[in-house]
Amino acid sequence: MSHLIAGFPDGETSVAIADALVKGGASILEIQLAFSDPSADGPAIQTASTVALEKGYSTKQGLEIVKKIHDMHPDTPIYIMTYGSLAFTPGVENFVKMCKDAGVSACIIPDLPFDNDEGLTAACAKYGMENIPVAAPSMTQARLEEMASKGFKYIYAALRAGTTGSQTVIDQATLDFLDTVGKGGAKVLGGFGIRTGEQSKVLCKHVHAVVAGSVFVNIMLKDPKDTAGVEAKARELSGL
Amino acid sequence: MAKSLVESDNGFFDKFGGKYVAEIIRRPLDDLEEAFNKFIKDPEFLEELHVIQRDYIGRETPLYYAPTATELLGGAQIYIKLEGLANTGAHKINNAIGQCLLAKKMGKTRIIAETGAGQHGLATAAACAKLGLECIVYMGEVDVRRQQPNVATMELYGAKVVPVTSGSRTLKDAVNEAMRDWATNFATTHYVLGSALGPAPFPDIVRTFQSIIGEEVKRQAAERNIDIAAIVACVGGGSNSIGVFTPFIENPNVRLIGAEAGGVGPKLGENAARMVGNAAKVGIVQGYKSKFLVDDDGQSQPTRSISAGLDYMGIGPQLAALGECGRVEFTSILDKEALEAVNFFAKNEGILFALESSHAGAAAMKIAKEFPKDKAIIINMSGRGDKDIFITSPVFRPEKWKEFLAAELKRLENNEDIHDAEIMNK
Repeated sequence: MSHLIAGFPDGETSVAIADALVKGGASILEIQLAFSDPSADGPAIQTASTVALEKGYSTKQGLEIVKKIHDMHPDTPIYIMTYGSLAFTPGVENFVKMCKDAGVSACIIPDLPFDNDEGLTAACAKYGMENIPVAAPSMTQARLEEMASKGFKYIYAALRAGTTGSQTVIDQATLDFLDTVGKGGAKVLGGFGIRTGEQSKVLCKHVHAVVAGSVFVNIMLKDPKDTAGVEAKARELSGL
Repeated sequence: MAKSLVESDNGFFDKFGGKYVAEIIRRPLDDLEEAFNKFIKDPEFLEELHVIQRDYIGRETPLYYAPTATELLGGAQIYIKLEGLANTGAHKINNAIGQCLLAKKMGKTRIIAETGAGQHGLATAAACAKLGLECIVYMGEVDVRRQQPNVATMELYGAKVVPVTSGSRTLKDAVNEAMRDWATNFATTHYVLGSALGPAPFPDIVRTFQSIIGEEVKRQAAERNIDIAAIVACVGGGSNSIGVFTPFIENPNVRLIGAEAGGVGPKLGENAARMVGNAAKVGIVQGYKSKFLVDDDGQSQPTRSISAGLDYMGIGPQLAALGECGRVEFTSILDKEALEAVNFFAKNEGILFALESSHAGAAAMKIAKEFPKDKAIIINMSGRGDKDIFITSPVFRPEKWKEFLAAELKRLENNEDIHDAEIMNK
């Protein structure tokens, strides 16, 4: 699963990035709708979100990009990642419906906790979509097991203790964490801080999908035209 | 009065509050909640806190009767709670000391804080210096530039001030950055949030440490037979107001009035009024549900106020709940009214309000006449105005201030002692 931000570095290029990611082997696209205060993201994604918002890519315009990408790659599932404010303010059900209409198949909203989600899981179910909660290694065993047993089809496992963007170490503790996340039968999407093909190769044995995000954003922050670099990195990570 | 308007019920004040955070930040919040609930009942902790409040902060702070203001305003007796006399110049120290002491009991060695104007950062830096803790203060790059005196003082206390260059580079971005740091380093680190907002348990913790203001007012009023009709406080995030209001929430004889930043006008972007007018929406931002200045999509909107401490898009969840049910009344004060209030109390009472607190002063000036002479209005002067010299001087005496700054710059560039500077030999 590969990540991009709708509208970063601009609308057209974000569509080209999606294209490059799919060509590079991405089997799922995680598309982030830019939010003004992305506190669960690192500085790279926050900076990119600011750019997208300055160019006018809030919810409606962002979902237009999503629709375009969906029309180009109808077989690649698109998961929306964003923050509670963008879902809650227009009404959670309304937001989910807008996503559905754009071709989205799941929502990842880390600050709507699974046990107090403002109706997100129910709304997703109503429109044939999934709510994908985000698990973190710092969760207590009890809370983690509660999340794992709730019947979610997918759970996003954030591997590092902090926010996105730093190096991830895949050690025994990480593997134990992944085991617990998947205990209730959820397919595990594992990510946060994946940088190299080597890391990806180790991790992919233990998860349903490897998630890579800020590694691509960083390439585009360095050179906003470098979709070829994005494709090459996607190839490295997917092992194509 | 519903209990959840006085303290949170599982993190919620009526429908506001909660713990809307990513799981990465959940654990430190839950750990903090547990530790707070334990230590706030521990007599040893409370005694240690009491001694620091008395000897270091300088409590209790005076409840000052303002005779000239009372006479000029021609209504209720005006009393001013002088929180500005607390060490470091504002009420912020009450919370900073409380949380830093709690952090120390929890075995944390590193403290992080966000700051906008710099008052909370300053208080936290001082508390860390006093208690022997490492201190890192996140501050938006824009605020670092416009609040240099506070940056300099924080550094003097030994804190490291980190300019935040993401987003709008102001207070809300500093909060985001502090949250990120905490998510990564919570094993060693406590995040001292500065206002009665953010995810639970922060609104309860900050209110608890700030309510000493209201408890003192209640005691001082009882000792001196002061018949309180209203209490007025400024509301940014809301820590000083909830602190002074708390012991009076269930007393229907006392009107509680919050003064928001009216900025330069009523339009979105011209002020920071969340409860007055209809620009704000119920939203979920930065970990809590409350009223926010967000657009139709839920993106946070720019705010404006002459007072950096009130210049924030959200309001503490308990105050939002108390406002919605009508227990706390809100009014908004324009920048120019706040400046007039600074001038009024300085000239007539010899008391220099911070620009934040002068919003409360201005609100009291407007309503004083509504009350008979045997009733009292309490103005919470949350901070003193020395820190605002770079903002008030360009307004009140622009030419002299410009001359001063130019001469200082020249002197620095020439590396001269003030006695030898050119300006001394004119």
